[in-house]
Amino acid sequence: MSRSAAIAGLGITELGKVYGRSSTSLAAEAVRLAAADAGLPLAALDGLLISSGTKQDVGLQLANVLSLGPLGVLSTVNAYGASAGIMVAQAAQAIADGAATAVACVFADTPLKPKESAGSSWGSPRHSGREISGMSGWSLAGGAVNPNILYAMCARRHMERYGTTSEQLGEIAVAARAWAAHNPLAAMRDPITLTDHQNSRWIAEPLHLLDCCLVSNGAIAVLVTSAERACDLAKPAVHVWGWGQAHEVRRMQSGSQWGLVTPAARSGPAAMRMAGIGVDDVDVCELYDCYTYTVLVTLEDYGFAPKGEGGSFVEHGRLAPGGKLAVNTGGGQLSGYYMWGMTPLSEAVFQARGDGGARQAPRNDVIVVSGNGGILEHHSTLVLSPHARSGAGVPA
Amino acid sequence: MSEATQSTSAEELPAFPAVVRDGGSAAFFDAAERGELLVQRCTACSTVLAPEARTCLSCGSVDLEPTVVSGRGRLVTWVVVRQAPIAALKGAVPYVSAVVELDEGPWLMVRLVGDAAPVADGRVRVDFVRSGAGEITGELLPVFRMEENV
Repeated sequence: MSRSAAIAGLGITELGKVYGRSSTSLAAEAVRLAAADAGLPLAALDGLLISSGTKQDVGLQLANVLSLGPLGVLSTVNAYGASAGIMVAQAAQAIADGAATAVACVFADTPLKPKESAGSSWGSPRHSGREISGMSGWSLAGGAVNPNILYAMCARRHMERYGTTSEQLGEIAVAARAWAAHNPLAAMRDPITLTDHQNSRWIAEPLHLLDCCLVSNGAIAVLVTSAERACDLAKPAVHVWGWGQAHEVRRMQSGSQWGLVTPAARSGPAAMRMAGIGVDDVDVCELYDCYTYTVLVTLEDYGFAPKGEGGSFVEHGRLAPGGKLAVNTGGGQLSGYYMWGMTPLSEAVFQARGDGGARQAPRNDVIVVSGNGGILEHHSTLVLSPHARSGAGVPA
Repeated sequence: MSEATQSTSAEELPAFPAVVRDGGSAAFFDAAERGELLVQRCTACSTVLAPEARTCLSCGSVDLEPTVVSGRGRLVTWVVVRQAPIAALKGAVPYVSAVVELDEGPWLMVRLVGDAAPVADGRVRVDFVRSGAGEITGELLPVFRMEENV
């Protein structure tokens, strides 16, 4: 591609228990912030990609709310938690083929309500009555009715097949919290220990509370433009070296690898191949962490650890500050904020710009970002760098 | 996990919410009354599929027919749910949800009942429990048990 793309702006609204504002209002603010961050007027935008979270309540009307001018690109994108990476890939393609020159990619969601638990915001059908009907009634009585339960099944399958332990999953939670301690945006910053993890209540055994992500209200946007233009703008350009996506819906049949191998096994290598790198070149991983297990299986599927060895790979603080591989340097969704794929992507932008402060990773030449959706069924990958694709530091 | 077959509490919160039949599930629940597990089979390639399948996983055919299976299989994975995810399951917790693989091939997401500890790849067998509790009862539901407990 002749015109490579870069992220030139990042906009983050207030996150967490933000009440009284619609997802659309938050999305609009995030887009404005991203444009301002890049030093561009809103009128410079000629592309807008929109991803909505659990509420699925932001649509194309966002362009009206922002009073945008003529657009070359306008779409909603939904591959659940994989959407952020897919939006950036679509934006980069639009830049490359000339459809647009400055594309805002935004995610917004407002699942949290005052006086309701975070868990209750995760859309399960509410059956107040006792009559439940048909085959779906049988399924519902089967009890596997929400992501906590289904991800727990995936984690259990990995544990039984490969000997992965709850303590190993706990290593991922402890490392994320240690990084979060240095992230002013993170919701949970008090250090935790493996014992804290083990003592936290069961959500769906084998997943403890501290294996599960937070729930947050808010919005995050990035502004994607050409690499050339990004280099003249207000903030250091974050170059997009590669991308990938892959999907495989749950296959309910003998031989299914559901839960053990995810579409990350295709998406990750595709993105790294496009970027011209391998896992040994990666300095920072920002991995989608709806659950600790998601990080573990993604590390395996990307090739950082052989299949089945993700558990021992994450031991001894390997992913924590000072460890061998910097993973989820902002605390991720486990300890930071739950903005779906925008959580890893936003932290990748901080790291690529060198804006990580006390949590800045020692090296940031190559950053891998993952997105995951469904029950390990949808995946996206980005490879980002502070350097232009052809620049110094690019491995052969 | 001994929630088993009877209602569990004075409040009559059922361990299995009362399930009522509809047109699409009548044959499935009639089979359950006979102690049979009814799933589907592809008429084109004979692949056995889950009861709720719409399309053959092997050949893509939509021409599926009901078929009775052995009700035997193995445990693929499971989860112990201690906190009710929805109001209808308040009387169920703690319960075990599981994926079982029938000997004929399809995977089912089901409740695993009985006192035997779940064992990966362990043999399982279908059983049937009455849904609902007290005056509100529903259909007989296929559930599974570890073989050791049968």
